[in-house]
Amino acid sequence: MNWLDNPVMRREWRERVRSWKFLAAFLTVGGLAALVVLLRWPSIASLGNTATAGDLGGASGSGVTAAVLSQGTMDVFRPLAFGLAATIAALVPAFPATSIVRERRRGTLAMLLQSPLHPVAIYAGKWLVNVAIACALISASLPAIAATHMLGGLSFRSHVLPLLGILVLMVMVFSAVGLWISSRAQSADGALRWTYAAVLAIAVLSLIPSILWTAGSGAMPALGKWLRACSALSAIQEVLGQGASGGEGILQTSGWLGPYALASGLMIAAAAAATLWELRVQNLEKNRSAGRVTNEQSAGVQWFRRLAFLVDPKRRSSGIPPLINPVLVKEFRTRKFGRLHWLLRIVALCAIGSLGLTVITATGTVAWGAPRIVAAMVILQLALLLLFGPSLASGLIAGEMESGGWVQLCMTPLKAAKIVTGKVMSVVWTLLLILLATLPGYFAMGYIQPELKTQLIHVVASLLLSGAMILAVSACCSAFQKTTAVATASSYGILLALLAGTFLVWVARDKPFGKDFVERTLMLNPAAAALSEIRMPGFETYQLVPQAWYVSIAITLFCFLLLGFRTWQLTRPK
Amino acid sequence: MDHSPVVDIKNLTKRYGEFTALDDLTMHVDSGQILGFIGPNGAGKTTTIKILVGMSLPTSGTAKIAGIDCSSGASQIKRLVGYMPDRFGSYDNMRVTEYLDFFAAAYGIPYRQRKQRIEEVLETTSAQYMRDRYVESLSHGMQQRIGIARVLIHDPKVLILDEPANGLDPQARIEMRELLLKLAASGKTLIVTSHILPELARICSTVAIITGGKLRAFGTLDQVMHSLCPKRTFEVQLADRADCGKCHAFLESMGNGLEDLQSSQAEGVVRFSSQKDEQSLGEILREMIGAGLSVTQFREVPSDLEDAFLSVAKPAGATA
Repeated sequence: MNWLDNPVMRREWRERVRSWKFLAAFLTVGGLAALVVLLRWPSIASLGNTATAGDLGGASGSGVTAAVLSQGTMDVFRPLAFGLAATIAALVPAFPATSIVRERRRGTLAMLLQSPLHPVAIYAGKWLVNVAIACALISASLPAIAATHMLGGLSFRSHVLPLLGILVLMVMVFSAVGLWISSRAQSADGALRWTYAAVLAIAVLSLIPSILWTAGSGAMPALGKWLRACSALSAIQEVLGQGASGGEGILQTSGWLGPYALASGLMIAAAAAATLWELRVQNLEKNRSAGRVTNEQSAGVQWFRRLAFLVDPKRRSSGIPPLINPVLVKEFRTRKFGRLHWLLRIVALCAIGSLGLTVITATGTVAWGAPRIVAAMVILQLALLLLFGPSLASGLIAGEMESGGWVQLCMTPLKAAKIVTGKVMSVVWTLLLILLATLPGYFAMGYIQPELKTQLIHVVASLLLSGAMILAVSACCSAFQKTTAVATASSYGILLALLAGTFLVWVARDKPFGKDFVERTLMLNPAAAALSEIRMPGFETYQLVPQAWYVSIAITLFCFLLLGFRTWQLTRPK
Repeated sequence: MDHSPVVDIKNLTKRYGEFTALDDLTMHVDSGQILGFIGPNGAGKTTTIKILVGMSLPTSGTAKIAGIDCSSGASQIKRLVGYMPDRFGSYDNMRVTEYLDFFAAAYGIPYRQRKQRIEEVLETTSAQYMRDRYVESLSHGMQQRIGIARVLIHDPKVLILDEPANGLDPQARIEMRELLLKLAASGKTLIVTSHILPELARICSTVAIITGGKLRAFGTLDQVMHSLCPKRTFEVQLADRADCGKCHAFLESMGNGLEDLQSSQAEGVVRFSSQKDEQSLGEILREMIGAGLSVTQFREVPSDLEDAFLSVAKPAGATA
């Protein structure tokens, strides 16, 4: 069979390309790339009074030094490259993540596997279409890249082509990993959550070991180096000539293109093999455990399980206690990680992580300075909040709609306010756990540098507000969508625009935005307020507290009001 | 003793813009009765149910359950009615007892009484053995039982079950039928929709047939059959098969009132349909015997709910 004559590929391609969402995504990527170029386009003044408009257009260099031109071009090219990489990380994983799990739940995967199509053809069809669609989205930025190239100082072979290669590799890796997770997941929202966690781990968390073990020749630095090769960030930095970005030798880059290509190839191959393993017919029906309870087993088994688990997950649970919102308990019980034994494990993990952070902050505060360490912690926490917040909150109402549970919930005498409170509080506790885990780190820093106490309190307050805003926006999206996948994608879109988008404006500070405009924009972002409070380089000139708090409180309250109204509307007779 | 109906629907109309989903529907169901609510897809059954359970407001008319208006007293209706939609709506990672405990808590059943109540509904639905199973691991038939257990948890007066027998195997269907009869016997009023009409015919005391938003027939099964199938079919069994032609000709000569004459020499049977009353039919039998025909049986062929339904559900212009 001709590999192009793959019915899965044709079906997936048609389904995706015919959707108006594809056109919207294409236009958005193209529009944003053009916007970045326009915002960062060097002014004549910035290139020196010797430049002329003609020089800029043709980049011929008559009167303008190559160095100045090259710097001006890089000022445009860098945000464009990072913006494209961030867009790929935000948009691409959602589609492969839901691709197989959705087919399994609909029952169409069984039909496909029973057809004469080989699992390789099914996998190839899905993977290739995901890659092709993402490449089509990247192609929307080509006019912007071409315009940047016209500025001069940018080599097609050394800059443009490697960047496009890295972006395509990112797409291939995320698609392969997304499909693998989708093949193992039991629900679309679970698949989305795990896929975005994997993307975060591959793109960002893989850098941490190389930051912690920068020098020396042992197993850990070598491991750190290999893990770092998994992230596209080092390779992109190398293409952009940002050897010293990250400062103080933390992320010095050179020679990362080859290892990144190799690591990507390995990840793609491993994910493909794992997905094909999952696509075996015998794996199709994974029978749910019938649910044997420990209470019916011998006393010895009961005793052993109590010792091993502390809270035995297989014991017969007691009823929902009086005065506790039943929706809150239901939300925890229906989440795999919401069960008490899992919560205890998460608390333990957070405690260990917290101790680790305390050590890092104690040593790092002395070596690297408090602002950099706090900034790293803020960014890490923000990433965790962004990962867990939307994935938990986006399914609160949309998930019920999707499963048919909403009608049953509406038939109970529970008021809309109680339903919303129970659902929201189930996410609040989880997010608080993430935030509280890092508190000892801040305490350690406050102990080492007591003069930072007020600033650290402001940082923690800003993070709490970030968490509240992420929760409110995601829960609000959940109430307006009928499927969890769409609600999650909408939440990520809005939150990335609010949190990452405002940082993009900050990147364009002074060129073309003035201080006032950047300051006003950053007020939408409570995480930026945290960075400004700790006087992170680049943020020290902005005074965002308390105005940024008021803005995030206003956004949070507005979203919660909207959520309450929408839930009330959904519980009302039509 | 109060003889007012438990479910009382009067001139119920629901319009969505230009489209009329329900048109002047009037019917009632008494305590302990099972109403079979029949209609093709899009007939207005779900709209009626949604109004009854307080999830939709009528454009005009009233719907009352135990004297409480379903529109203005929606919160009271929730305690009076147990509604099982056609989708089960399970939650992942929940055992059956946890699932029932959640709904019991949502209905405000006190903590101390909940365990006993869960045991009672599991016993009623013969589902005790499923108590520790994960809800999503249950088969469709088991889930339907747990669905009924869920709607019984707050001991409602009226149960509204949307397609409870849908997708069940014959054994599970029989068990479901017995369960519904048991619930009716215990004094519950049931409104059941189903596309499996022979099943409904076996359990329903009252039948309502709705098409295009209009009520086409309402009453006991016999009343509905007589109103929708006024022509009854009769069969004449002859001892001598050779008499079939003679019998056919004789009945044809009887003239008006006897229609759809068919004879089967292989069976020795002649069939016809008629709206004549019992006395006229007796006269025909006497004349046949008088004419020397070897009649051994003269019987009515029972028509079923399916025939009645098809007679009103047939799209306009369709022929038999």
